[in-house]
Amino acid sequence: MHTLIQDARYALRQLMRAPGFAITVIVTLALGIGANSAIFTIFDQVMLRKLPVEKPKELVRFEWTGAYSGSASSFGGDTGNYFSWPMYKDLRDRNTVFAGILAADRSSVGISWHDQAENKDAELVSGNYFDVLGLKASLGRLMMPADDTAKDANPVAVLSYDYWKTRFTAAPDVAGKTLLINGHPFTILGVAPEGFHSAIGGYTPGVFLPVSMSDIAMPWTAPRNDLTNHQSIWLTLVARLKPGITPQQAETALGPLWYALRAQELTGYKEVSARYKDKFLNHTHLSVKDDSTGFNPERQDLSMPLLVLMCMVGVLAAMCAVNVATLLLLRAAGRVREISMRYALGAARSRIVSQLLVEGAVLGAIGAIAGVALSPVIAHSLVRIISNVSDQDQTPYTTAVDLRILGFTLLLSVVVTLIFSVAPALQFIRPRLAEALRQSSGTASKRSQLFRKIAVGFQIALTVLLLGGAGLFLRTLENLRRQGLGFQTAHVLSWQVDPTLAGYTDDRTAQVEMNVLDEVRSIPGVLQAAGTTDPEIAGNQNGSNFTVQGHVAPEEEDMNFEVPNITTEYFRTLRQPLLAGREFTAADVKSAPRVAVVSLAFAMRFYGSPQNALARLIAEGGGNNVKLDTTIVGVVGDVKHQNLREAPRGTIYRPYLQQTLPGGMELYALTNQSSGAVESMIRQRIHRLDPKLVVYQMRTLEEQMDISLANERALAFLAVSFSLLALLMTAVGLYGVLAYATAQRTREIGVRMALGAQRSAVVMLVLREMALTAVIGVAVALPAAFGISRLLTSQLYGVVPGDPLTLGMCVAVTAVMVVLAAAIPARRAASVDPMLALRSE
Amino acid sequence: MIELTNVERSYRTGPTETWVLRQVNLTIRPGEFVTVTGPSGAGKSSLLNVLAMLDDQWKGDFLFEGEAVQGMTRKQRADLARRRIGMVFQSYHLLDDLTVAENIDLPLSYKDIPRKERQALVADTLDRFNIVGKKDLYPSQLSGGQQQLVGIARAVIHRPSLLLADEPTGNLHSEQAKEIMDLFCKLNQEGATIVQVTHSKENAQFGSRILELRDGWVYSDTSAKRTAGVQS
Repeated sequence: MHTLIQDARYALRQLMRAPGFAITVIVTLALGIGANSAIFTIFDQVMLRKLPVEKPKELVRFEWTGAYSGSASSFGGDTGNYFSWPMYKDLRDRNTVFAGILAADRSSVGISWHDQAENKDAELVSGNYFDVLGLKASLGRLMMPADDTAKDANPVAVLSYDYWKTRFTAAPDVAGKTLLINGHPFTILGVAPEGFHSAIGGYTPGVFLPVSMSDIAMPWTAPRNDLTNHQSIWLTLVARLKPGITPQQAETALGPLWYALRAQELTGYKEVSARYKDKFLNHTHLSVKDDSTGFNPERQDLSMPLLVLMCMVGVLAAMCAVNVATLLLLRAAGRVREISMRYALGAARSRIVSQLLVEGAVLGAIGAIAGVALSPVIAHSLVRIISNVSDQDQTPYTTAVDLRILGFTLLLSVVVTLIFSVAPALQFIRPRLAEALRQSSGTASKRSQLFRKIAVGFQIALTVLLLGGAGLFLRTLENLRRQGLGFQTAHVLSWQVDPTLAGYTDDRTAQVEMNVLDEVRSIPGVLQAAGTTDPEIAGNQNGSNFTVQGHVAPEEEDMNFEVPNITTEYFRTLRQPLLAGREFTAADVKSAPRVAVVSLAFAMRFYGSPQNALARLIAEGGGNNVKLDTTIVGVVGDVKHQNLREAPRGTIYRPYLQQTLPGGMELYALTNQSSGAVESMIRQRIHRLDPKLVVYQMRTLEEQMDISLANERALAFLAVSFSLLALLMTAVGLYGVLAYATAQRTREIGVRMALGAQRSAVVMLVLREMALTAVIGVAVALPAAFGISRLLTSQLYGVVPGDPLTLGMCVAVTAVMVVLAAAIPARRAASVDPMLALRSE
Repeated sequence: MIELTNVERSYRTGPTETWVLRQVNLTIRPGEFVTVTGPSGAGKSSLLNVLAMLDDQWKGDFLFEGEAVQGMTRKQRADLARRRIGMVFQSYHLLDDLTVAENIDLPLSYKDIPRKERQALVADTLDRFNIVGKKDLYPSQLSGGQQQLVGIARAVIHRPSLLLADEPTGNLHSEQAKEIMDLFCKLNQEGATIVQVTHSKENAQFGSRILELRDGWVYSDTSAKRTAGVQS
């Protein structure tokens, strides 16, 4: 122990004697370890961390496959993740393998407390939600099955812990008090436990409301009759396995019940062919999947980017280890005589090796501490980029360093330290004592010189790999940003006004929204203003099945189309081209004949041209008895609606004022000047209309596009950052190796110059030293980059894996780095004074 | 061939200026074999560096085959030296990673000579110095005498008009030293002008003229009648 302390003390003394070397190594380690810890912090929360509930390993969720017809409302993921309320109740009440099954859905509601209204995320949950999860209230009590009985009969709410702390200032007497949800009084039952956010991963609702209150929480869903409708799927289900039951056993046991429930559901379908019936009943399956981490639709979107980033920082950690090993080997070359002397004085091999390992451990420990300190800073930036919010409280992700992160960092540090400590230790395992002690200056063995060249070549190869990935992500981001959306984003402001927050009832919402639009249209500088129930590039998908006059759709044909309800001036506001017919007018109200404007894709699919589509009839719903009640009056260009990657799909625009309880809208204003100048005017005018109306989520469409690109931007930004870091580390390593090699070759350079070598020849001599290594490194990296980039295909857009231009740029950047890193040693070599170099004569 | 007039060289260390060459006046004619002797620190190597044009910090006049070296740029001096001067070192200074043939080829590689011509010249030189059998060996596989033989072969391969040798036998035993000195005499008889620096009185006798330096001054010159340096 005393020896270890002595070695550690000696190591610290050595570091203090060479502060430049120590700082370089510690900064390298801190960046490498810090980046890994930061990415792991987010990776852990999105991919690995269990829900903070009782025995999370017992939780499972359901996914189904099979034919289906009806309306689906989702907050992400496949339709197979969602179920109808009647199906939920049947599964809950008729299974034998689960201790309980809960249902949940996400929604945004207006919450008014002490006359202050705000829009907030809510989770609609079944009455047994907290029981199934095994949670206890922080305050008051949680929801129970008795709180979720009949439609609109249970106006109660449970606050989330964070919302209670911030909005209700942790008031201890909040239970039993009343708040307004969308203008309706709800009694607060209590507060959810601290640390628990939701059964839905990555979701942070402010309140939990009973599913039975869904018509109030989501008034626009009222026409669907969600609580009785078998063909409206909208709930995600989570179950707790009975003790001793495995997910596989549960899945097997559920098979007959699922078949029976499907058969029962089919009876609700009108006019079903034998083929469809067979498909509906015999080609369906209900899977039971692990849900210990919570169902998180964003996980699908984030998992690949996070996996890519974890791999990238893993590569960075490997480069760190090799880089530090190279630097330590260079330093060790100057210690040959010291170590040889120790051997000559009787030191055992184990003693020397242990001393070198302790020196490595000291460096590793300091680097790890610095890395852990740096980690939250990097993680904070990452969270801001992927969440698109500046306020940390609004994200479901924490950047705090907990025991899991510390454990990961410790493990990584040990591995990295072992790698970089072993290299110098190996060099001194079999010293050539006589030779080393005879020489007046330290020299390096050919083996260690070879190791250094291989290490630098390895780093160059990894740098090309990282640059290749970063280049592809950058080009993807650029391609997504540059592509045509089908509408113009410049000078367009978007915002929301929820009249229910101001106490208006659902039947008055549409009128208030129209009043707001009229007010905005009168603002100087506003050229056009319009609204939609289905905002652009916001990730929304609002589809419905349609029947098209004259088109007999086979049962497997997808007749589901996007159905935004829009106001007049919509296409002019977004400058979406009208290809045929007309826009909606103020006359297109409920009492007028029902009309629609369809997208080009729709028109071409069914009618062959925009002109042919005009005056044709369509209807919402399917079956032979559907009444074709809607006339196509216009055709507009296709748009990228849900996100920037999605191909345009058939869209049927309908007049907002022809819908029953159409709900709130996203409003748009086209301005003739910078949107910022008009923003305050809009707020003022709406305030003047009714001071209780709250404007929220006001942003330009360009900002909305940025939000839509959050994942791509985060990936590109981080990939570029890590690549530049890798490039810098490689440059440092390359410089170190070349500087050392040049110093070792001073005599040789002197001889060459004395024999007539010109400075340019000496520069070439030094550059050639690394050129071959760099060429081999690049030659190894390019096929690897090509192969690995194929795994990234799902993350790319408008660029092929192994894109020659991107890889060419990576090689060019690497070449510039090699030349820059070699420039100083080369210049130093060219300045060697042969007279001085040969003075040993 | 060489004419030095009032050549002086000093090094400044802080406020102190240390003189290593003082008012050196020296004329060397083509075909002479000059031995420069003197105790350590006398300025022998400094004089050789001036003659080799490795040093450019001296003062005075230096005419090399009628050309004024002091007026030349560093590049011009290097170019002249590359064409006209060959160097032999005490420690041979062969490059460890190059074979005998590659070491000999080194000065040619810094000139614009076609590869084939270079190969022919190297082959001739190997033959001339009787080391054809060792052409593929590395310096570490040769004895000291053999290494110096290669060093001399390398110095003369491009047929310089002046051969400078700094303690060429300093690391060799007497028998090897004699062989090297015989070789120098042979080269001198073939027309090479040679300036060697040596401590050895025995080897000094191989020269046709002996120049002795002391504290930077030319102390004596066996070609006394032509001596330009005078001790003060």
